[in-house]
Amino acid sequence: MSLLRNLGSGLRSLFRKEQVNRELDEELRSYFEMAAEEKIRRGMSPREARRAVRLEHGHVDTTKEFVRSAGWESLVDILWHDLRYSARGLRKNPGFAAIVVLTLALGIAANTTVLSWISATLLNPIPGVAHTSDLVTIDRGDRNGYATPPFSYPDLRDLSEQTQTFSGILGYHNDYMSLTGVAKPERIFGALATASYFDVLGVNPILGRTFLPEEGTPRAGRAVIVIGYSVWQNHFGGDPKIIGKTIQINRHPYTVIGVAPRGFTGCATGLRTDLWIPLPMDHDVWGANRPEYRGVVWLNALGKLRPGVTRNQAEAELNLLMQGIVERFPKDHRDRSNEISLDPLWRSRFGLNGYFYKFLPMLLGLAAVLLLLACANVASLLLVRSVGRRREIAIRLGMGASRQQIIRQFLIESLLLGLLGGTAAIAIAVWTSRSLVAFFPPSTLPLTNDAHVDQRVLWVTIALSILAAIIFGILPALRSSSLPVQTVLKEEASSVSLTLHKSRLLSGLVVAQISLSLVLLVCAGLFIRSLQKAQQSDPGFEASHLLLASYDLTPAGYTLATGTEFNRQVLARLSALPGVESVTLADFSPLSFSIHSDYLQIEGYVPQPREWMEISRAIVGPNYFRTLRTPVISGREFTEADKPDSQLVAVVNQAFVDRYWPGENAIGKQVTDGGGRFTIVGVAGNAKYRSLTSPAEPVIYLPIYQQFRSAQDTTIHLRTTGIPQMMSSSVEETLHQLNPELPLFNVNPLSVTMQLGTLSQRVAVTFAGSFGFLAMLLAAVGIYGVVAYSTRQRTREIGIRVALGAEKEGIYRLVLGQGFRLILAGLVVGTALAVAFTRLLKTQLFGVSETDAITFASVGLLLAVVALVACHIPARRATRVDPMVALRHE
Amino acid sequence: MDKQSDIVQGTLDMLILKTLALEPMHGYGIAVRLEQMSKGVFRPNAGSLFLAIQRLQRDGLIDGEWKATENNRRAKYYVLTKRGRQRLNSETREWGRQAAAIARILEAS
Repeated sequence: MSLLRNLGSGLRSLFRKEQVNRELDEELRSYFEMAAEEKIRRGMSPREARRAVRLEHGHVDTTKEFVRSAGWESLVDILWHDLRYSARGLRKNPGFAAIVVLTLALGIAANTTVLSWISATLLNPIPGVAHTSDLVTIDRGDRNGYATPPFSYPDLRDLSEQTQTFSGILGYHNDYMSLTGVAKPERIFGALATASYFDVLGVNPILGRTFLPEEGTPRAGRAVIVIGYSVWQNHFGGDPKIIGKTIQINRHPYTVIGVAPRGFTGCATGLRTDLWIPLPMDHDVWGANRPEYRGVVWLNALGKLRPGVTRNQAEAELNLLMQGIVERFPKDHRDRSNEISLDPLWRSRFGLNGYFYKFLPMLLGLAAVLLLLACANVASLLLVRSVGRRREIAIRLGMGASRQQIIRQFLIESLLLGLLGGTAAIAIAVWTSRSLVAFFPPSTLPLTNDAHVDQRVLWVTIALSILAAIIFGILPALRSSSLPVQTVLKEEASSVSLTLHKSRLLSGLVVAQISLSLVLLVCAGLFIRSLQKAQQSDPGFEASHLLLASYDLTPAGYTLATGTEFNRQVLARLSALPGVESVTLADFSPLSFSIHSDYLQIEGYVPQPREWMEISRAIVGPNYFRTLRTPVISGREFTEADKPDSQLVAVVNQAFVDRYWPGENAIGKQVTDGGGRFTIVGVAGNAKYRSLTSPAEPVIYLPIYQQFRSAQDTTIHLRTTGIPQMMSSSVEETLHQLNPELPLFNVNPLSVTMQLGTLSQRVAVTFAGSFGFLAMLLAAVGIYGVVAYSTRQRTREIGIRVALGAEKEGIYRLVLGQGFRLILAGLVVGTALAVAFTRLLKTQLFGVSETDAITFASVGLLLAVVALVACHIPARRATRVDPMVALRHE
Repeated sequence: MDKQSDIVQGTLDMLILKTLALEPMHGYGIAVRLEQMSKGVFRPNAGSLFLAIQRLQRDGLIDGEWKATENNRRAKYYVLTKRGRQRLNSETREWGRQAAAIARILEAS
């Protein structure tokens, strides 16, 4: 290929420049001499001949340059030269280079960090499945509440059999299970899955096979299991002969048929699934037979669209099919809206993307503002620096450099700075990208977080560095290259830059920095206030002095009778411990995403058509309300006397009464769920169990001694008089006296675990807060730099003023006034920008308006004070100018 | 800079190949030969000539070799490569076709 040859020849000229140069030189010289000789032969004198040749062809060197500059390698050569020139310039000025690189690194690293989170969640919703754009999650019903599994097995089966728009639909139900029959039983997060599960996702096992269609049929299902890679490695030592062996889940034997590939952890983003068993095994795991009932809604669904089918088409089709199902089985579809909606995985409501998809782009917006601010800051630094280089540039222009060459030189320098900043940013982000996990409090949620700087993030970061370099480099480059050469060269050094302090461009950059930092500070302020509001808001229980500890009786083989007895003894022994004020049990803990829900029929209440009657349901022990300090408004709370053989009772909260029995007396009314009919014996105050930032929702409480359910955690709630952590060892000892083999997990104070309820607020505060702080710092440094610089340039002028009798105070005001005008302009522009920007935050804020006047005012004041202090330093320096020194100052 | 007649864009390469088809030659030799053969119409300037030579060399159509001239001066002699000869043939044919076509058009009007 001639391209290759061309490349080779070009590279040769690049790396053996001297030799190639010499050859061309010799060749041209001999050409010129031969031409001259010819003319001499024709009778010219040698002088005349050479003159004639030069007239005809120009100078040898010019010709050589002309030939040389035609090859691509000469461009590389020039850029390389520019690069070395820039590097030399920066090395001579290491302080400047360090500040610029650091500023850029922080600005870019903020973006890289958020991008790495977005990449790991929104863009890579199912680790191990590369192609997810044709996958959608299928939801049904009201989308305003929290997401609960939307389908029954018969409905989902009918839909997947009838659909023409999907090539496959899968359903799954995630829950805790226990790996038993091993030395130390372990809780894992497993999934009951339809037989289509792996085929729809396109995941192939690394060992064995996945489910066969007949293994997913109710009553025909077999006890087979596909285990995850980490279970295989951690519990079975990566045994290559695992296929066909039997393992135990919840004390039932399963035959291992396959091992999922490394990295694949199920299809709910951010949640880890350790193993998969067929849906019909429900009766083994939970003793239920949910796949058989059309009215039991417990499956999350995900479908793969056929090629060429849009989401809207598929949605329309499924709604049509669903209508048919509802018409055939009206009884089973009364208590929930049957409207089906499809979501692409990046905003799927199953998994963490439902939380992340609004929150992470907003963080990215904040990071982008920070980067823009960093660019403005660097641009002003470059501009100030370029003034010092005016003579150098003027000389180069005077020597015949073109304007393009000067601009190119400046942009190369910017590019070098940008890429150095980007490299430093990647180094920072390698560490910060993993920080998302640090915001999760200890909990039993099987959260995964493999956010890291992946290849996609790396490329975007490099692109971002280049983009930033162009943004901050272009203005100084254009400005510096358009010099009136003559004037500059004639000017004295001291007067050269007199024009700069009047430069609108520089002032504009300072105003931009102040206003952008105001935007970030306002966001930070709003988030801080919103977190405060959330933390100060009354959750309806008292979290301090409460220790939590959980255990799971099912895998340990307890039955209704023995489990109830065990719980009774736990409570008896724990309440006898010194320092224990009161103790109770519950099947959940507040604000840790662990509360369950149930379908209820409520006496005297007629649901609206399609009203969603799934209501939060808490199973709690005696003294629950006393221990949590949730008031009982009327009636009583549960006692030891609420036993399986006594009347079935329930307590509801005030929100329940307000919603279903407004203005009525709830005591004595009845509520029915799948397990029986309960009589209300008490009404409790509202407590927030799902989210601090949304209003309390209806909750029904059932007594634990009447409601022993398998495979659900039991959580001890223990109120102490002292520090809750101090009690953890005695709680563990007590439990182990009762059963030495029962693992106790998640032993933590409630005040720690309930931080999960403010996760996004805390992430937002941390980020917006540090962005805001950085922004303020940059803006302060920026305005200080510009005011200090222009003051130094005006030393002579100030000297003259002092010599003419100006008061120190007047000088001080002169300098400060210049800064003050910039600050004021920045605050005005910044307020306008912030009002526009905070609108994006609306959904993330709690208890504070996005145009909260107090936040705007206090943040503006803070910024003004910091910026004025930054101007104060050069202003003070100006008052100490000695006129004699100043006038001699060059 | 070509004060004589501007060589039609791209044809200089072909003309250089043509001169080298007769015998290997150095840069000046090529210039003189071009001038002779065109009876003084084409007198390429040294810059354009060496640019074209560099281009042809990179494309692998000609090869250069340092030798002594008859006047005992060192000069780089260029020879046509096999690819260069093929190119010359195909370009000559193409040129003939185009020239004939252009001539027909001009005569028609």
